[in-house]
Amino acid sequence: MVDLDYLKLSKPQKMLHDLGQFFARLPGRIGGGLKGLALAVGRCLKGLGLSIADLFTTFKNGDWKTRLSYLVMGSGSMARGQWGRGLLFFLFQTVFNLYMVNFGIGYLSKLNTLGVVETYKEGRKTVYGDNSFLILLYGVLTLFFVAAFIYTWRVNIKQNKISQQLLASGHKLKSTKDDLASLADSQFHKTLLALPTLGVFVFTILPIFFMILVAFTNFDYNHQPPAKLFTWVGLENFRTLLSSGTASYGDTFRQVLFWTLVWAFFATFLNYFLGMLVAIMINKKGIRLKKVWRTILVMTIAIPQFVSLLYVSKMFAADGLINTYLMKWHWISQPIPFWTDPGWARFTIILINIWIGIPYLMLIATGILMNIPADLYESARIDGANAMQMYGKITLPYMLFVTGPYLLTSFTGNINNFNVIFLLSQGKPMGLAGNAGYTDLLITWLYRMTVTDTNYKIAAVIGIMVFVVLAVINLVVYNLIPSVKNEEDFQ
Amino acid sequence: MADKKIPEVDIIVDEKAGVIKEVEQPKKLRSKKGHERRVNGTIYTVLTIMSIVWLVPFVFLVLQSFRSYKLEKGGMVDYLIPKTFSLDNYAFLFEGSNFFSWCGKAMLLAAAVALAATLLTHFLGRSLDRADASRGKTTLTLGAAMAVCYAALAIAAGAVHGQALGQRLVPALLGLVLFTAAGVIFARIYLKQDDKLLRSLPGYVAEDKHEGAKKVATLAAELWALALLCQCIVAPMQASQYIRWYGNTLTIALFTAVIQTVIVLSVSYALSRLRFRGRKLIMNTVLVLGLFPGFLTMITLYFLLKQMGLTQAGAVPGLILIYCASSGMGYYISKGFFDTIPKSLDESARIDGATRFQVFLKIIMPLAKPIVIYTVLMAFMAPWGDYVFASYVAFGHQEGYNVAVGLYNWVNTNDFQNYFTRFCAGGVLVAVPITALFMALQKYYVEGVTGGAVKG
Amino acid sequence: MKKILSLVLAVALVLTLSCAALAEGYSGDLKVWVADAAVDFTNQQIEAFKAANPEFADMTVSVEAVGEGDAASKVITDVDAAADIFGFAQDQLARMVAAGAVEIVEPANAEVVKAENDAGAVAAVTMGDELYAYPLTSDNGYFLYYDKSVVTDPSTLEGILADCEAAGKSFYMEINSGWYQTAFFFGAGCTLTYESDNDGNLTACNVDYASENGLKALKSMIALANSPAFVNGSSISNATNVAAIVDGTWDTEAAKELFGDNYAAAKLPTVDGYQMSGFGGFKMLGVKPQEDEAKLAACDALAAWLSSGDVQLARYEVLGWGPSNLAAQQSDAVKADVALSALADQLQYTIPQGQYPGDYWSLATGLGDNIIGHKYDGADDEALMTALTEFQDTCISYAG
Repeated sequence: MVDLDYLKLSKPQKMLHDLGQFFARLPGRIGGGLKGLALAVGRCLKGLGLSIADLFTTFKNGDWKTRLSYLVMGSGSMARGQWGRGLLFFLFQTVFNLYMVNFGIGYLSKLNTLGVVETYKEGRKTVYGDNSFLILLYGVLTLFFVAAFIYTWRVNIKQNKISQQLLASGHKLKSTKDDLASLADSQFHKTLLALPTLGVFVFTILPIFFMILVAFTNFDYNHQPPAKLFTWVGLENFRTLLSSGTASYGDTFRQVLFWTLVWAFFATFLNYFLGMLVAIMINKKGIRLKKVWRTILVMTIAIPQFVSLLYVSKMFAADGLINTYLMKWHWISQPIPFWTDPGWARFTIILINIWIGIPYLMLIATGILMNIPADLYESARIDGANAMQMYGKITLPYMLFVTGPYLLTSFTGNINNFNVIFLLSQGKPMGLAGNAGYTDLLITWLYRMTVTDTNYKIAAVIGIMVFVVLAVINLVVYNLIPSVKNEEDFQ
Repeated sequence: MADKKIPEVDIIVDEKAGVIKEVEQPKKLRSKKGHERRVNGTIYTVLTIMSIVWLVPFVFLVLQSFRSYKLEKGGMVDYLIPKTFSLDNYAFLFEGSNFFSWCGKAMLLAAAVALAATLLTHFLGRSLDRADASRGKTTLTLGAAMAVCYAALAIAAGAVHGQALGQRLVPALLGLVLFTAAGVIFARIYLKQDDKLLRSLPGYVAEDKHEGAKKVATLAAELWALALLCQCIVAPMQASQYIRWYGNTLTIALFTAVIQTVIVLSVSYALSRLRFRGRKLIMNTVLVLGLFPGFLTMITLYFLLKQMGLTQAGAVPGLILIYCASSGMGYYISKGFFDTIPKSLDESARIDGATRFQVFLKIIMPLAKPIVIYTVLMAFMAPWGDYVFASYVAFGHQEGYNVAVGLYNWVNTNDFQNYFTRFCAGGVLVAVPITALFMALQKYYVEGVTGGAVKG
Repeated sequence: MKKILSLVLAVALVLTLSCAALAEGYSGDLKVWVADAAVDFTNQQIEAFKAANPEFADMTVSVEAVGEGDAASKVITDVDAAADIFGFAQDQLARMVAAGAVEIVEPANAEVVKAENDAGAVAAVTMGDELYAYPLTSDNGYFLYYDKSVVTDPSTLEGILADCEAAGKSFYMEINSGWYQTAFFFGAGCTLTYESDNDGNLTACNVDYASENGLKALKSMIALANSPAFVNGSSISNATNVAAIVDGTWDTEAAKELFGDNYAAAKLPTVDGYQMSGFGGFKMLGVKPQEDEAKLAACDALAAWLSSGDVQLARYEVLGWGPSNLAAQQSDAVKADVALSALADQLQYTIPQGQYPGDYWSLATGLGDNIIGHKYDGADDEALMTALTEFQDTCISYAG
């Protein structure tokens, strides 16, 4: 479509056109993306090849100090007077060797079978055999350690090469004192990021990697270390979860996924528009006691959720306050099954979530609304626009433009909104296969799998599925946002 | 605007006829005032209803907490106002502890020691600075003064609270280090007269004569809080179960607030201002890692902590470790804030010869007050509501629970019949301080959230 | 020479043997998990145990309050960090045996247990043909508590409901729990049991809910849910305006306080002409597998002590937990207890609760929720039978 024709379309038609174009270009984009991926992989491999070639050349051109560093890390640096660096490298190598000899080799060798020695009884006492969990955990840790060692060794070689060249061209090398000083200056980022990176690595990356691997084992309550062993089963768990047929894990997964997306949608957008509405109402000229209204609503954010939600969930119980008073006033004759009927339970949860979510959104909306230049509204009013038109043409686009990314993070957050579901209904009413309930999100199902059922393999697969769902959503939205929002229109 | 009796008119200039006409305003505009009043009225009604609906559960919660568990049985009963208002529930929470007497003695003791320490620091610091002694000497003298004050506190605490002297060596040493270090730091900050770098900043305002008094008062207040804290370490009170849970959660929250802030600010500063290889890689990795659900790693973290001995009895340090270790991943909002600080400040300071570390500490940090407070607030409030990790790591060891786990057990486990009103009381005691804190720092919360959201 | 050598050897042998005999016993740490209400009582009993058994007098035993519901999950999650002796209910036994989290009862003790406890309790702790735990109570069943002034005749459900409706009060029963639901189904004549092997795996399911009897039971439940006096629940402390409730002995104190002088208890009533049945539940002490024989012996000894007849009687007197020990059940105190008599009365109509898969409970809750949500109101027999058939088929699918 020619640009002129495009501009002549009305807003909804433009959006439709954009959407159509997006999907039309999608195969091309995906192809392009895959090509890019292949290129990136190719570049990686080429880089690797170059790296290995470089190793050989360095060895050939290196002096005895460099060549010694191939075997004893840090010796080159120490021989050239950089004691700090050399010592660090050497220490690392020693620790690594000790670790590998005492633990690493043992665990690595058992990694492919995850243990074969079973637990047996000697008389009355139990003699524990291999512990598959620890084998997997330490095996993965060892793999990472080996990777880190190879990387450090490579860095060591490179440094030797650079030092050799520097010395050959007549420059001086940095002394240990210089190194330490640079930690506060040119290498400051290393100082700042060292501890956090270590923390993230040990407490996030390692466990996630471990759980991804667990998804390929049969680690559940029937194969519980230390008494029992578990082993690799390949893609079987994925087949179970994605299987078809009623009353199966696959069916439950689809239902839970559907509800998760529906819930996230309502929780995000309902709260968003209602919160904005409330903010506009409070912000309107002529309304007094603005601070009082805001304070009352904001108080609900401060009160810890486990207090307020637990209390509210009891309020809606079959013999709770709401039902009792409704029956007292003869509005209903039977208590409303707020928590025992799937439909009611889902509705109640969304309703209560509005109660929780509006204050947040109201705060954000207020902050942003205050930034909209008032003369925009003035000129609109002079032009004769009424409230609805002002909202639709000024407020809404501005808000959407500014909080677009926030909506995405909020949607993602609501998909993983554990607290609200867990404290209100614990996922009940139950009834789906695989011990899932009708108000269960993927994440509450995951929690129940882990803590109550100790069925870790399914929990791991659910976790991976959550990741896939979120990744897809994020990718799609990030690609949609530029084509939907139009800077010129906005201005 | 008051309604005028004169009909509203519009002056229209009819150029063609060369006449100025008066035209009565159309009815639509005249009734606009009435319309607006109606709209406002509706809005007021809606807001009032909303306020009631929002506040109602909390009002009921507070009312229920006054319904004695001994006199009026039942969980969620069908009447709202308790038949008799009693403090039985609250009394139960403190049963078996010497909370009130300990607090009274502790506060008075802390006040006495803080006063002595402040005066000592003030006069010592002043006299040494005037004599232009070297930094080391000042610090040493101040440190010694603080140590003396702490020793006095420890001995007095032992006597007043009825604890044996020399009963706790390691905590006592810890308290000593804390008190001395903090006292010295406070003294240096508040009594320092000379700071070249600060003075060189544009907009630096010279001290006024009330500054001195304000500084001393703040120093006294902080020393008082510190003396109180030290007494917790040297002569802890005898606690009831609820107090122990509360204390656990408070400890976790305080440590997390400090450590997490340091980590988050370091990471966001590094990613915002510093340029280095791997920066984009780190940001993308964090983005991808954030898509994994948090509970996926629970079992692994539990066993990792178990290998380090930080579960069950060691649940409190274990939880602190869990909350802080991966907190670097939450850098997004702080980074957005740092991005708004103009880089010219950095550059001029670096031209003056400051290292990046000095730029970070002396120039950026003072300007980052809003985001620091926001991060501290968020980090402080989070542990109070965490049920999942806390119950998993404590693994049945009741002394290691936090308030959320304890109260949740009271209301949801069948073993605890009749704990409902006590849950309400416990919940009120948790909610009130947190709400007060949040309301006081509300401004920073809004700045942080909207700043991050707006910047996108 | 030879004689002296053999003498020396003999002396050495005797000395070693006596040393070994003296070295018996255990002096390390032991951890026990019991319900919150039982912590103090258990501590006292442990002191008594140590006094009676000097070879264990140096043990350090710590008692922690972990509810029976949580104990099983926690032990399975981390056997190493879990308690050495823990209390749990029999519905967790299959899972624990499958995970290898509970040790077989010492053969000598097993004989004693089999002889001294009632049949239901012994069946509950048995898996295959081994005993896996020490029975503690036979009172995890349910019966009827009621207000004498409101309910005049507790023998029929219809009568109870009429009395409650007339007085404007409620009748509580948790029909969306697979535990209470069976009162109707088993009473009408249906069966639902699972068979298991020695490893705790479920091998077969015997169920006949999709039958005339099942239909009768389902209709009774639908009629109950439609009564204005009915409220779904089983916790008297959280009940409002209650006149009759199907509950268990753990709520005896609460019931006494609530009903005051009008406190009364009875077996479950009849409904539609048949007697309501249900499950008999049992609590037991499990011992986790140990790597140290001496420690295992200590655990066995302590568990045997805590589940012996005298201690069970003492526990009844302090906590009100109905004993599973035959002799204790015959004591005057137990016989005079209103609630326990009602329970004993009801127990003759119940079946001991065997092993059920976790999914069964969710399934049953689903069925109950549908009844409470009036999904089956006005449905014809065919529709009801379809629902029952689906329920039955799903139950069968959980086995094997």
